[in-house]
Amino acid sequence: MFVSVSKAGKNAVITSTIISMAIIVIVFAVIGLQGLQAIPEAGWSLLSRSWNPGQGEYGILSMIYGTTAVTIVALLIAVPVGVLSAIVISELLPSRYRILVKSSLEVLAGIPSIIYGLLGVAVLSVLIGNLFDLSTGRTILAGGIILAIMILPIIITLTEDALQNVPSRYREAAKVLGLYNYEVMKDTILPIAKSDIIGGILLGLGRAMGETMAMMLVIGSLDRIPDPFYNILVPGQTITSKLGREIMESAFGSLHFNSMIFMGLLLMAAVFTVTIIAQRNIRFGGRLYE
Amino acid sequence: MLPIITIAVEEFHDLYPDHKVLLNSGGSGVAINQVGAGQLHIGMISRDLTDEELGRHPDVEFTKHTIGRDAVLPVVSSEIFDAGIRVLSINEMRMILTGEVSNWQQLGGPDREILVIDKERSRGTRHVFMEAVMGDSEASVPAAGLVLGANNELQLAITQSNSAFSMLSFAWQNEHVKGLAIKMEDGTVIEPSEENMRAGIYPIMRDIMLLTNGRPEGKNGLFIDFILSEKGQEIIEQTGYVRISQ
Repeated sequence: MFVSVSKAGKNAVITSTIISMAIIVIVFAVIGLQGLQAIPEAGWSLLSRSWNPGQGEYGILSMIYGTTAVTIVALLIAVPVGVLSAIVISELLPSRYRILVKSSLEVLAGIPSIIYGLLGVAVLSVLIGNLFDLSTGRTILAGGIILAIMILPIIITLTEDALQNVPSRYREAAKVLGLYNYEVMKDTILPIAKSDIIGGILLGLGRAMGETMAMMLVIGSLDRIPDPFYNILVPGQTITSKLGREIMESAFGSLHFNSMIFMGLLLMAAVFTVTIIAQRNIRFGGRLYE
Repeated sequence: MLPIITIAVEEFHDLYPDHKVLLNSGGSGVAINQVGAGQLHIGMISRDLTDEELGRHPDVEFTKHTIGRDAVLPVVSSEIFDAGIRVLSINEMRMILTGEVSNWQQLGGPDREILVIDKERSRGTRHVFMEAVMGDSEASVPAAGLVLGANNELQLAITQSNSAFSMLSFAWQNEHVKGLAIKMEDGTVIEPSEENMRAGIYPIMRDIMLLTNGRPEGKNGLFIDFILSEKGQEIIEQTGYVRISQ
């Protein structure tokens, strides 16, 4: 509107775009330049388990393990629960309830992560500690569950959108053929919506890997890979919780600082990749094939 | 130190409404870093600077201002305290931290695994406690079961546990978090009492300090003078620390 009639408006729009692009470039450049310095300085020792700034040891494996572990736990919980809930909301609920349920889920997505963290510390970790008779409930499992709750609204909303995007004539045709409801779902709707659903799960995955505040509070912050490695009932440390707790204590430009930024770089690259794949999967806007 | 300075800042604002003080929290390591980098005028520290930290900022003239004293206590969950663990020797604490002793039963307590709660590396409380117990302010704690940061975070975790062992300032004890007496090598037991702390005979004591770059001038000097004044020292006493001027 005003963009097309006024030169000033046009310039403002272009400037805003350039600023946004510049921010992305600057973030990548700074994190990249600073983080990559850790490689020549610390070398292969980065790929060890012991992180000990006092002795000059900066092994990041425990943190990479922690991020991977909590993300897997979160997906194992959130994917089945999310996809099944979305099926219920999209296919089984009458439409007036559908809107109600969906908008309340969107409210859930807007709760700040510190709130989830506090609930995690005050309620969830205590429950887990009692349930499994642990000396502390601040565990990888607690982190994974909190993350699952946080990404659930993303997965449900996007899966539900994906199901809604499947044109109704596919459902009708399938029903006319005499298929049962579950067969319509399994053999017709889900295969069509699959790509969008995977996209939604990947966006949830990206969110899970980057979550910091709640993770710092519930994970226990112990730089350790459990033994055996699948024991998730012990404290751990994720890249984000490590950065959140320690980055302010390190001097800018020191190896300590650069090693942490290096972890941040790995995380950023992972989230970036996942997001790009997710966006390729999701067909934004409108119903399919109509 | 946050409780002291929080109240001090409020009273300072009442006294000098034109001088605004912005207060932020974090450990001693954060304060030293930010004073070194020129991001803070005044840092709060509860330990000495390490050689490494001094080496990082060769151009900064770190100046410490002692404003009070504090005791760092070995603390346990009230369940352990009530079950009879009231005194530990330095050697027993060392064995807990290294994992040689991993069950309270080995020390005469209940049959329950010890949850050792460690603190973030650069925290003042940790430096002082580790120096006293392990002989190295940056010693590792192989038996650590959790690593937490601020005193209030530790306080909550110790409260939630029924078998925790950790370290805390005198002022942070409560009905769920109990400080222990320390058994000296000659067999005398020193209680974690207010009198022993004020008299300076509790074995793990430290100065709590403000940190500036060079001599503080203007408002910064005014704030430090305020904390050293009678009014400021009263705040230190009220919040559970030991005043330096009588």
